[in-house]
This record gives sequence, C-alpha cells and structure tokens, in this order.
Amino acid sequence: MAVKRKAIEDPDLNLTPIMNLVTILIPFLIMAAQFVQLSVIDSTLPAIGPPTQVEPPKPDEKPPLQLSLALKDDGIVVLGADRIIYPDGAPEVAEGEKRPPTLPCKSGGSCTNVEDYDWDGLKQKLNLIKDEYPDDENVILVPASDTQYEIIVRAMDTAREDAEAGTGDGPRTLFPFVVVAGGAM
Amino acid sequence: MATKKARRPEVDTNLNINSMMDMMTIILVFLLKSYSASDVSVAPSDNLTLPFSSAQKAPEVAVNLVIEQGQILVDGVPVLQLGRKADETSGKELPIVPEDEMQGQNIGKLYDVLFEKAEQAKTLGERSNNPDLAFKGRILLQVDREMPYSVLRSVMYTAGQAQFGEFKFVVYKQE
Repeated sequence: MAVKRKAIEDPDLNLTPIMNLVTILIPFLIMAAQFVQLSVIDSTLPAIGPPTQVEPPKPDEKPPLQLSLALKDDGIVVLGADRIIYPDGAPEVAEGEKRPPTLPCKSGGSCTNVEDYDWDGLKQKLNLIKDEYPDDENVILVPASDTQYEIIVRAMDTAREDAEAGTGDGPRTLFPFVVVAGGAM
Repeated sequence: MATKKARRPEVDTNLNINSMMDMMTIILVFLLKSYSASDVSVAPSDNLTLPFSSAQKAPEVAVNLVIEQGQILVDGVPVLQLGRKADETSGKELPIVPEDEMQGQNIGKLYDVLFEKAEQAKTLGERSNNPDLAFKGRILLQVDREMPYSVLRSVMYTAGQAQFGEFKFVVYKQE
C-alpha cells in the first residue's frame, strides 16, 4: 500500500521561469507600445522664383485652374473656379460690399467650431471642379490670421480625397498637393 | 500537547498562479499587437493636442518642431515662449509670438536654432556620402490644434528662411 501511494506525483507544472520571462517582457512592451497612430500631411512652401510668363489663354482653350480656398471666420471662399460653381454667372455684389463666402457657416454668421464649416458642401464643389479639371492636383489654402490649425488640417483632408466618391479602388483623389499661402490679413 | 498541535500536517505552500498566467498571456498578446518601432513619437500633454486627420502617410525622421500652447520647442528643447493676446473680434485669448522676437515675419531665436540644425544636417549629409542622409529640408511640425494661423505662418516662414521647405504636419490617424 505504501508503495502505491508514493507513485502519485505532484502534477503542478513549474511556471516560475515563464513568469519571470513574462514579467520582464511586459514592461518592455508597455514602453514600446504606441496607443495612438501618427501620420503626416505633406506640404511645401510656395516656390519663390521669377514670375513666369503667362501666355494669354486662347479663346477656345480652357483657362488654367488656379484653385484657392480662403478659410475665413464666416465660411469658406472658393476662388478661381467661379465658372464651375456659378454656371449662370457669379452673384452680384454691391460696390463697397464684401463678397459673401461661397460656403457660409452652417449656423450663419461666424463659425464657432470646426464642425460649423460646411465641409460636405466643399467636398461637393471640389468634386464638380475635379470633373472639369481631372488633371489638376494643386490647391492653395489661404487661412485668415485667427483660423485654428484644426480647421486648416480639416480643409487639407477635404481637399485631398473624397472617400464616398471612390470608384471601387479606394477614395477619389481630388487635389492632394496642398500649399498653405501667406494668408488673408 | 502544545508541541503536538504546532506540528500540524504540512500545508501545500504552492501559490496557484494559473489565473495570473492567463492574464499575462492576454496582456502579452495585446501589447505585442500595439508594439511599434516608429521613429517619431509625440508627448501628448494639456498644451499639445494634435488634430485628427484622414492622412495615411507614415512619419519619417526629420527635425521635430513642436508648437504648444505657450512655447515652441525644436527637438525637445524649448526655444521660445509664446505670449497671449486677446483677439479684437471674439475677445478670446490667443497665443501670439511676442513682438520683440519678430523681425518682420521672421522669428529671430527660432531662425538661429533651425539654421544651425540645417547646417549640421548638411555637413552630416556631405560627409556620409549616402544619398538617403542628404539634407532635404524636411521638418516635422507638431502643432496644437487650437493654434491660430498667425503663429503657424510666422513659424513656417522662419523655417523656410532656414532652408526647411518640406513641411510634414504630424496628425493623429483617424481610425
């Protein structure tokens, strides 16, 4: 009987070495863990050089697109594409009066935060312009002095691509080369 | 009798660490998943909240310029303290570059630091003979999302003067 009892061995696995390993690995991995994913938006300074001779456009040719987006506190002004945005001619502005923004703030008056700007409207307009100028990829951002950085980044995002207008293989690329200009005073 | 009581049958002193092992295994897998050996890191603080963006491009190593609420840092070293000024129209307090630091649009102190960085990077690029290390004028900009454009404009102008013409705005990737 006594011999039989001795045959029962302790079935516990010795986990101590594994525990040692894991306790060392965990602090190391916590240090190297990144909980926020970063990415970057490319932009360049506007090139400074001698002014190039611009040839007057021939009457039957499309005038070149010089698309700019002015980010003001009362909305976004799309510049350089009036012919597409206003096919029936730009709205009349009385002399001495400021031109109203192409895309006023959703709440009217001046925009209170990022979501107050009409980003969907801007996307729609940019899609229209891209239809007309499929080869153009440049856009110039002209923020006002007090425009917050967040709004500039959002404008860059909106101008770069449209996720909803994609044609199967990813989002539609609109105007990926964004240059930030000196700004409206 | 008292001595007999002290000699009770020996209790098994092994700690049961099975459940702890389970937990550790799960944590290990989770941490391995979020492991990243990225070259660029941000130190988020109350003064620096990056904006979210749909951009997908991975960051690369370059001179790191941080514009926080309150100060500008280059590669982790504070260069300039920002002042605050009430905006005329909204009345909100906005950060500004102190006027005595400005030479036109140029920020003197920042220019000196950046110019030195550019010269260092150029020398390094020339000596290494490695086209990958050549100076390309790249600069990473980590800017607080509430920073007004007036500050950003001066900083971008100064960086441009100091031969940094390729800006990379660092943002949080939207999930």
